[in-house]
Amino acid sequence: MKDLLRLRTSLSEEIETLLNEQIKVEAYSSSLYLAMSSWCNRNGYDNSAGYLERQSGEEREHMLKLFRYINDLGGKAISPEVTNIPQEFDSFKGIFELALQQEIQVTSNFNRISDRCQKANDYVTLQFLQWFLKEQIEEEYVARRILELFDIIGEEGTGRWQIDKQIPKVSYGDEGGED
Amino acid sequence: MQIKANTHLIEVFRTEAGAVYQCEASNNFILEFADRSTAFKPGNFIDFSKRLFAINLAEMLCSPAKHADLAIIMPPYCETCFLLTITEVISLQRILGGAKTILHLNSILRTSQLQFA
Repeated sequence: MKDLLRLRTSLSEEIETLLNEQIKVEAYSSSLYLAMSSWCNRNGYDNSAGYLERQSGEEREHMLKLFRYINDLGGKAISPEVTNIPQEFDSFKGIFELALQQEIQVTSNFNRISDRCQKANDYVTLQFLQWFLKEQIEEEYVARRILELFDIIGEEGTGRWQIDKQIPKVSYGDEGGED
Repeated sequence: MQIKANTHLIEVFRTEAGAVYQCEASNNFILEFADRSTAFKPGNFIDFSKRLFAINLAEMLCSPAKHADLAIIMPPYCETCFLLTITEVISLQRILGGAKTILHLNSILRTSQLQFA
């Protein structure tokens, strides 16, 4: 008897579902960063607004990478419905605390999916996920460093203006650590 | 698994209410239920199965709404619309659940065959 399900796709139903759920998380992150960008723009943090807009684009790219992978393997990638995006935030610092929390959740999700792939002997997808796991080192590093600027520079006086100027400069080098 | 004579159909799973066949010629699944046969491409079969198992039986049973005891599933690329009572939902879930288990088992067996060939 032919294995029709395997002929259709090499993804198991479980892994396909997990990847589709992750597409939704990435889409949510993208929209969340865009809402943060808008808030920063409205409150005079132009550099942060630009940075967060670029982050939003990156999250969308991550979403598309997962989307294309599912379709390439014969699965059914689902265009996600994104709802409940907050449009208002408590503070400038609060935005970056939320960004870090979001990145931590994404890392945890990729760890969980990798674990499931290993248990399902899906080493193809596990290999594909390596890129995301590596990317999360950078995402969390940058988010943490930005948050540290609030302690190092301080928010008093022209502090927030200085922090806003520094935010787009925070990056993660090839060898690890800030450039 | 029973191979029907003179056809490419292989019976995957059967209950008293219906059956799922696999057509080796067209690579489709065929669901036989309530005196009707419906062909599904593998992807649509999985889709249909997901929708069927997503039906909230407890809500169907408890809701006082007039038509709450009926579920409608319209599979994509399919001319058949499934209008199901609670009993039919349960029967169909048994058929598809059983078929999925057999298909999964078939996958495992084929993978093992390839590994030890």
